[in-house]
Amino acid sequence: MRGVGLIFKKEWMEFSKDKRTLFFTFIMPLILYPAIFTMMTKMAQGDRDRRHGQASRIVVVDPSNALKPILSLDSKDFLVMDTPSGDLKQALRDQKLDLAIEVDADAAAKLQKQEPFTIKAMVDESESSSEYAMKRLKDTLEKQDKAWVAARLEAIKAPKDLPNPTNLVKEKASDLALELSKVLGMWVPYILLIGLYTNAMQHGAYMTAGEKERHTLLSLLSTSLPRTHIIWGKLLATFSIGVLGTIMNIVAMNLSFILLGRQIATAEAMQGGAAMETVKLADMASPSTLMLTLLLLIPLGLFFSSIILFLGTQAKNTREAMTAITPGIFVVIMLGVFSMAPGLDKMAALPYIPVLNVALTIRKLFSHQAVAWQYILAFLMTTGLAGGMAWISTRLLNRESVLFKQ
Amino acid sequence: MIQVTNLHKAFTVKDRKTKSKKRIEAVRGISFTVQPGEIYGLLGPNGAGKSTTLRMIATLMQPDQGHIEVCGLDTQKEGEKVRGKLGFLSTDMNVYERFTPRELLRLFGEFQGVDPTIAERRGIYLLEKLQLADFSDVKMDGLSSGQKQKVSIARALLHDPKVVIFDEPTTGLDVLTAKTVLDLLRVMKSEGRTVIVSTHVMPLVDEICDRVGIIFDGELYGDAPPREILGRYSVRTLDEVFFQLAAGGAR
Repeated sequence: MRGVGLIFKKEWMEFSKDKRTLFFTFIMPLILYPAIFTMMTKMAQGDRDRRHGQASRIVVVDPSNALKPILSLDSKDFLVMDTPSGDLKQALRDQKLDLAIEVDADAAAKLQKQEPFTIKAMVDESESSSEYAMKRLKDTLEKQDKAWVAARLEAIKAPKDLPNPTNLVKEKASDLALELSKVLGMWVPYILLIGLYTNAMQHGAYMTAGEKERHTLLSLLSTSLPRTHIIWGKLLATFSIGVLGTIMNIVAMNLSFILLGRQIATAEAMQGGAAMETVKLADMASPSTLMLTLLLLIPLGLFFSSIILFLGTQAKNTREAMTAITPGIFVVIMLGVFSMAPGLDKMAALPYIPVLNVALTIRKLFSHQAVAWQYILAFLMTTGLAGGMAWISTRLLNRESVLFKQ
Repeated sequence: MIQVTNLHKAFTVKDRKTKSKKRIEAVRGISFTVQPGEIYGLLGPNGAGKSTTLRMIATLMQPDQGHIEVCGLDTQKEGEKVRGKLGFLSTDMNVYERFTPRELLRLFGEFQGVDPTIAERRGIYLLEKLQLADFSDVKMDGLSSGQKQKVSIARALLHDPKVVIFDEPTTGLDVLTAKTVLDLLRVMKSEGRTVIVSTHVMPLVDEICDRVGIIFDGELYGDAPPREILGRYSVRTLDEVFFQLAAGGAR
């Protein structure tokens, strides 16, 4: 196995000489993810603050004045505007107002007679400000309804709790850690699938078709190293770069979440809010979960790397290799998206479907519902596939028609 | 020693126009022997079968028929051992441009089972011989094509091979560098190594080759000292032997 180690060393030496690729593979995610997350959070916070600080612009058509005075009084939340000329729907779409409210013409009389009256609200759900105005209206109406009901109950000297025969108390069986762990369990396979493939593909193509293109492969093959060692060394190098790149992505994302949590906590504290419930990674994923997930990465990474090497070995240059390898991204993305589908873990056939069974197993590991035989099956199946593909790649590298493809 | 017996190799190529597959016999029954301390010149026009023959000797290709022995080892059965005794250089080979010559030679020494320290020392010695020692720590993407060719030569000789095969070693080299390579070939001969050189450059053959074989249409002609071949074909230069072979008269 000395040859495998030497080729592995050579590939890493070559890779480490390309400072730009090193930066984009390992450093860039550490900068990019926190930057994007911070920027998005800041933008979302800014938007939320703006919405909270501004009164919603509303138009109220209320001939009997049953509701308009109440809304007009709440100047912090509502700015009652004059009805604009033209179509109200268009005015909403053009963001000239946030909500158009129409109250029954005889609302005041109905209220007097203790009959329900109708309030129609026209909202543009594609606009967050319009949606927020609707929420404000609902809250105000709920409060007003309660006040009206309380007044009616008092008038007939009925107990305050008359309209509330039951009192529902919700008690959570799960904690925040488990909820977040399940969310992580959905995201982690997606990130792993895409990360492992995309991080390995460039380097896999460079190490195979790239060597042919640069006319260096023959000098490698003319040494006394067995071809099996050459392909396995390249496979391990592709695999390790893919896995390390993926781990860096996950670390960067985790770092972003920590930063995000701190930003939210600081914002809450500044507004005098209650201390936020914080969850550490250790609460969401135990060391054994992380270890078992990393263990599954080995055959999955090897499988993806061997597919990349298989395609790269057949190509005569990097461009041809990338043309063959790139469509694989879409397959992997589809698998990744599928792995996030709700109810996926209930599919009976899933433990027998390669790659997806890895996603399922990781998901169950994070949900604390892992089944030993499913884990072992996923591990063995992926290992078998990785071994098979590596064997095919080795056979291919022995074929003269592939080696000397012009 | 290299012993090639009744070598055959054919390729199947696809004719894009007729969409049919065509079988091309690149090497047809070639036999020759090269002794230690001898430089054997393998000549022939493009596509004659020279590179295919050399690749089969270097175990990069397998013959369809025939037998090759290098230092008493069967190339088909003991490929790895053969490559350990053989230094191969071809025009199809390039250097790893991200490395410096020192790094590359050290690494290839390790590939050939040479101790890294010895590989580095021998690498520097070869670079000095090839007048490239001043560039041993310069990244190879900054070297000229002639300098890269010198590094390739050093790479092929790093493990002190008993057998050396150089396919077009002077292609793209200036006169001075070509002379350095020829001097090195003479040194290898004096050291008792078995050398095969394939080339288009006829004066080079005259100057250094003990015996010459001309491959034409996959078959070997000559297999004798250059002077003897000239006498056999009643011509003054090896180029004229080529012309006669092309015309079909000399076969």
